[in-house]
Amino acid sequence: MFGQIKFAAKRALGLDLAGRHYAVYPDDTFLVSYPKSGNTWVRFLLANLIHPNETVSFANINRLLPAPGVITRRFLKSVPRPRILKSHEPFDARFRRVIYLVRDPRDVALSEYHFDLKKRYVVADMTLDQFIEPFLAGETSSYGSWWEHVASWVGARHGNPNFLLARYEDLLADPIAETAKIAGFLGIEADAERLKSAVARSSADKMRKLEKQDADKWTGTKNTRQEIPFVRSAKSGGWKDNLPRQAVQQIELAWSPLMNFLGYELESPELDPKAMPVWVKAERTT
Amino acid sequence: MSGVVKHLVAGYKRAVGLNRPGKSLVILPDDVFLVSFPKSGNTWTRFLVANLRFPGEPATFANINRLIPDPTATPRREFDRMPRPRIIKSHECFDPRYPRVINVVRDPRDVVVSQYHYHRKIKKIADDSPIEKFVTRFLAGETCPHGSWGQNVATWLYTSEGNPRYLLLRYEDLIADAPRELAKVASFLNLPTSPELLAQAVERSSADRMRKLEKEQDHGLYRNSRKDMSFVRAAGSGGWRKDLPLEQAARLEAAWGSLMKHLGYELAT
Repeated sequence: MFGQIKFAAKRALGLDLAGRHYAVYPDDTFLVSYPKSGNTWVRFLLANLIHPNETVSFANINRLLPAPGVITRRFLKSVPRPRILKSHEPFDARFRRVIYLVRDPRDVALSEYHFDLKKRYVVADMTLDQFIEPFLAGETSSYGSWWEHVASWVGARHGNPNFLLARYEDLLADPIAETAKIAGFLGIEADAERLKSAVARSSADKMRKLEKQDADKWTGTKNTRQEIPFVRSAKSGGWKDNLPRQAVQQIELAWSPLMNFLGYELESPELDPKAMPVWVKAERTT
Repeated sequence: MSGVVKHLVAGYKRAVGLNRPGKSLVILPDDVFLVSFPKSGNTWTRFLVANLRFPGEPATFANINRLIPDPTATPRREFDRMPRPRIIKSHECFDPRYPRVINVVRDPRDVVVSQYHYHRKIKKIADDSPIEKFVTRFLAGETCPHGSWGQNVATWLYTSEGNPRYLLLRYEDLIADAPRELAKVASFLNLPTSPELLAQAVERSSADRMRKLEKEQDHGLYRNSRKDMSFVRAAGSGGWRKDLPLEQAARLEAAWGSLMKHLGYELAT
């Protein structure tokens, strides 16, 4: 009962979390990804690009590039338009303009495993092998499986001029060029100097330092196991050395058409590297 | 002041469970969702499934919101009282929280005609509003809050096809052989069934019976709509060939041809 009153009071004052129930405007742009796909890094890149004179940190990122899931309704109302918002939601028809960030699911599995240990979402002695089955079934995340998430967005919006597909791996390989693409999509005029500075201020080293400084101030790291870092390897291809072979095969067997489509090379020789998701196949025969 | 009163009323309704849960519905692990884009035969399928699941209580427009509840129309306390597993109506795009899904799809060329007439009935558009204009908005997903037809269908099909917890039904197949398609639903839901039970459910959900019920019953959803146009309209498939100009059909096919072909809808252009 007390909880209900507290919630009602928070709601009346606009201090409840916006969550999924908030007004979306047609000029909003959403930075969307499945969890553990480089979303926080790109948030820092964009915040640094948009606010060249502010020191972007884990303490203010929820304000500079808000995530409706963790900020209050009142604060969300005060954000000036056009807004850029962060989200992990699977397809939402209200999101008109979307930057969709995608990452190799073999690296996502590895990253999510460490994150879930940090957050105590899974038991501390869970092995990677044990993690893969629930990961594939979408049981380790409230946003569905990696396949469901990517297919819902890419299947519904691929080719739409208001949909920008960005690969985490491409951002790592050439952060300046890829950030420039995103800036162009957002209509931000950024010269080489500004892009370079945004990338430098969002480097993995910089973010590791910032994490140490503010781990207790950010929703993503507060009350988690501090001996496991949030900013981990910040690399691509970590699965090659750290994901058990069997797990790699399980992921590829389940999701190879979508991995092919996104250009993630398969390791399993028996899988067809040309197999594509349904929507691509159908387009080709039209 | 009226704002405060509204808040108080809403708070009272919430406290006693009279509010409509909408997207805040607490989903249970054995829930089944009956999902479709609007105007794709959802109400008919609701009647069919309700009549199969509750043979002791024939479905009507007066009880359907209780038998197969709709989170946007049914009070929360009905959801708490229902026998489980619950079967719940939805028009939403892909939602990973839905544990099991029956997805009804219909040829978008028929959907657009149906929605056009429906919007005239509920006075959302003028009676003489041209269909070309409606097709433009339909393509852009502006005629309802559930995405465009292509987006709504794609999010379900591309994420869930092949998943044993997902059953895809085509409205056209239901029209062609309702008992056969309903048998698929029975097996998906593990419901006891027999040819007699299936025939009874189909009979109780016939277009004629539904038209009769619609006339007799003052059901809230359509209360302020035009009485000279019925909610249960053609109840057939392929009507677009007569009612939709070919150039408008061509626009839909240009946008969603691949998806339509994947679903087995032959393209005309």
